[in-house]
Amino acid sequence: MKTLSYVDALAKAMHDALESNNNTVIFGQGVDDFKGTFGTTLGLPEKFGAHRVQDTPLCEEGMTGICVGAALNGLKPIHVHIRADFLFLALNQVLNMAAKYKYMFGGHHDVPIFIRAVIGRSWGQGAQHSQSPQAMLSHFPGLKVIMPATSQSILESYRYAINEFSGPVVSLEHRLLYGVNFEVEENNLRTGASALTSYIVREGADVTIVATSIMVLEAVRAAKYLANYGISCEIIDLHSPTDIDESLIIESVRKTGRLLVADTSWISFGVSAEIARLMCQQGFGLLQKPMEAIGMAPSPCPTAKSLEDLYYPNQEVMITKIVELVERNDVVIPDEKSMADVYKKFKGPF
Amino acid sequence: MKELSKYQSLFKKALRIRLVEEDIISRYHTDKIQSPVHLSIGQEAVAVGVCHALTTDDLLFSTYRSHAFYLAKGGDLNAMMAELYGRVDGCCKGKGGSMHLAAPDVGFVGTSAVVASSISNAVGSALAAKLLNKEHVNVVVFGDGATEEGSYHESLNYASLHKLPLIFVCENNQYAVHSSLEDRQSYNILEHVSSYGIETHKLLNGYDVVAVADYMEELINSVREKPRPVFIEIHTCRYKEHVGPGEDFVGGYRAEQAVNDWKAKDPLETDQKSIQQFKKGLLAEIEESVLFAESSPYPDQQHLLEDIF
Repeated sequence: MKTLSYVDALAKAMHDALESNNNTVIFGQGVDDFKGTFGTTLGLPEKFGAHRVQDTPLCEEGMTGICVGAALNGLKPIHVHIRADFLFLALNQVLNMAAKYKYMFGGHHDVPIFIRAVIGRSWGQGAQHSQSPQAMLSHFPGLKVIMPATSQSILESYRYAINEFSGPVVSLEHRLLYGVNFEVEENNLRTGASALTSYIVREGADVTIVATSIMVLEAVRAAKYLANYGISCEIIDLHSPTDIDESLIIESVRKTGRLLVADTSWISFGVSAEIARLMCQQGFGLLQKPMEAIGMAPSPCPTAKSLEDLYYPNQEVMITKIVELVERNDVVIPDEKSMADVYKKFKGPF
Repeated sequence: MKELSKYQSLFKKALRIRLVEEDIISRYHTDKIQSPVHLSIGQEAVAVGVCHALTTDDLLFSTYRSHAFYLAKGGDLNAMMAELYGRVDGCCKGKGGSMHLAAPDVGFVGTSAVVASSISNAVGSALAAKLLNKEHVNVVVFGDGATEEGSYHESLNYASLHKLPLIFVCENNQYAVHSSLEDRQSYNILEHVSSYGIETHKLLNGYDVVAVADYMEELINSVREKPRPVFIEIHTCRYKEHVGPGEDFVGGYRAEQAVNDWKAKDPLETDQKSIQQFKKGLLAEIEESVLFAESSPYPDQQHLLEDIF
C-alpha cells in the first residue's frame, strides 16, 4: 500500500503508456508546455521525444480524425482535452467514425485511440467548462467510457485501455480529484477487461449507493458520517457506464432494498435513468422504497458561487436522501453548503 | 492475344466500372440492392487515373461515392456486389453497403458517408507513415463540397505543418447534392489550398483517363521521392443524380447541355470501337458477380452483434 495522488497516477499512466509501446503518441493542446496538462505530461517530451508528446493546433474534430487515421496505420494515439466540453467539437469523429470503423467495415479495422477529457468543476468554470458527458457518449455502441474515481482505478483501467483494448475509449477525469491522495495497491491491480467494470468500494447492508467519479468520494464521506448512526451504506463505483456490472448492482439492492444513484451530470436521460431501467427490467420488486437520484440541477452550470453551490449537490443533499431512504429521523444533517470548498482543502488520503 | 496499349488498358478498367454501375441501375428496380447508391458514372476516368500508379501498399481513403475508387484500387468485384446485396460475403459482411466499402488488402482503407470525414483520417494515416518510417503513399479523395467543411481546413493545416506524405485529390463535379459550386463557395479551391503552403495541381480534362493516369503517375512518384503534401483538383462530371439511378439534369438544377458537352469528350461515350471490343467479356464478369452475390447467405443474428469492439 502506498499513497498516490490522482494527478500522479495520471502522470504515471501516461509515462507507462509511452514506455511500454513505442507507437504510443500523446496529442493535445499544450501537452508539451510548462504546465503539462495539469502536470500529467510533464517531463515526457524530454524523455520520449517531442514527436511522442505533440502539441496540436486548435482543431478537435480534425485532430480526432487524425488520431483515428493514425490508429488505423499503426500508432496508438492518446488525445487529451483539458475540458470535456471541447470534445463536443470532435463528436463527428468520435461517434460517426471511431465508434463505427470496425463495425461498418465488417471487422476490418481496429481503432485503438484513448481520449482523456477533464470534467471541470466550481470556481466559476461555468456552462462550457464543467460538463460531464458520460450519458451522451455511452449511448453509442462502439465506444467505451470510463470515469476513474481513484488513483487505483487510473492505474488499472488506463493500462488495459491503452495497451490491450483495440477500440476507442473516452476517460472522463475529474479536475477536482486531481489533488486528492489515495491509497493504492500496485501489486493488486485489476487486469484485462475487468479493469473497466463496476466494483464495490464499501460493503454495507442498509442502502446501496451507485456513484460515478467524484460522487464515489462523496458517497464514502456520507457513509462514514452515517456509520456513526449505525447506518450501513454499500457503495458501488459504477466506473464505466458502458461496462456496468449489472448483477453487482442487482445483488446489492436485493440485500439492501434501497438505492441511491449519485452522478456527476444531469439526472434525466443519464446514468440515473439507466440504473432505473436496469432496476425495472432486472430488479423489479427488489426495492422497498422508491429509488432516489442526485445530480446536477436541471440548468446549465452557473458561475456565481451562490448559484453554483445550489447547482452541485452537497453532503447535506446526499445525507438527507439516504436518511429518507432508510427511514431514520434521528440523524443530524450536516450543515455543508459547498462541496467544492471541501475539496479545495481536503487532500486525503482517501 | 495482343497486349493492350496503355489507352486500351485504362479504358477497359474505366469501362468495367461504367458497366458495373449500369448493371446496378438495371437491377435497382428489383429492390434486391437495398442500399442508397451514389453512382460514379461520368467520373470513372478520375478513379482509374488516380489509382493507376498506386500499389496495394499505398493507402486510399474515399467517400460514399466509392464504387469507382474501390474497383480502381483493386477491390474484389464479387465482394462489392455481395456488399450491395447485403450478403455475408460482402467486403464488409453486409454491414457497410454501397456507402461503406473497404478492401484493406489492396489499400482501400474505407469511406465515410459524412462529407469530409475521411480527410483527417488520411492525414492521420500519413502521420503514422511518417513516424513509423513506412514508405507507402497516402491518398484521400473527396468532392468539391468537402472543401466547405471545417475539418478540411484543419486537415490541410496539419498536413502542411507536419509535411506529411499525402495526396489530396479533389474530384470537382461542381455539385453538392443539388447545389452548384458557385452557390456555395466564396473562394477559389486552389488559391485557398495555396495559402497553407501546399503545392497545388489542376486537371480540367478528368474525362481523359490517360491524361489523368500520366499526370498522377508523375505526381505520385514525386511524392515517393520527396514525401510531402500535395493537392490536385480534377474536374469531372456527374451524369447521374446525387443518389440513385436517375439522370442528373431531370431535377432542373443543372442543364442537360452541360452534361452532354462533357459526354461528347468522354471516351466511354464516344469510343464505340473499344466499347464493343471489351464489353462482352466485362459483362460476363459482372454477371458472375451478381450470381456470386445472390448465392451468398444473408448475415444473421450472430453477425448483428459482432465487431462492435
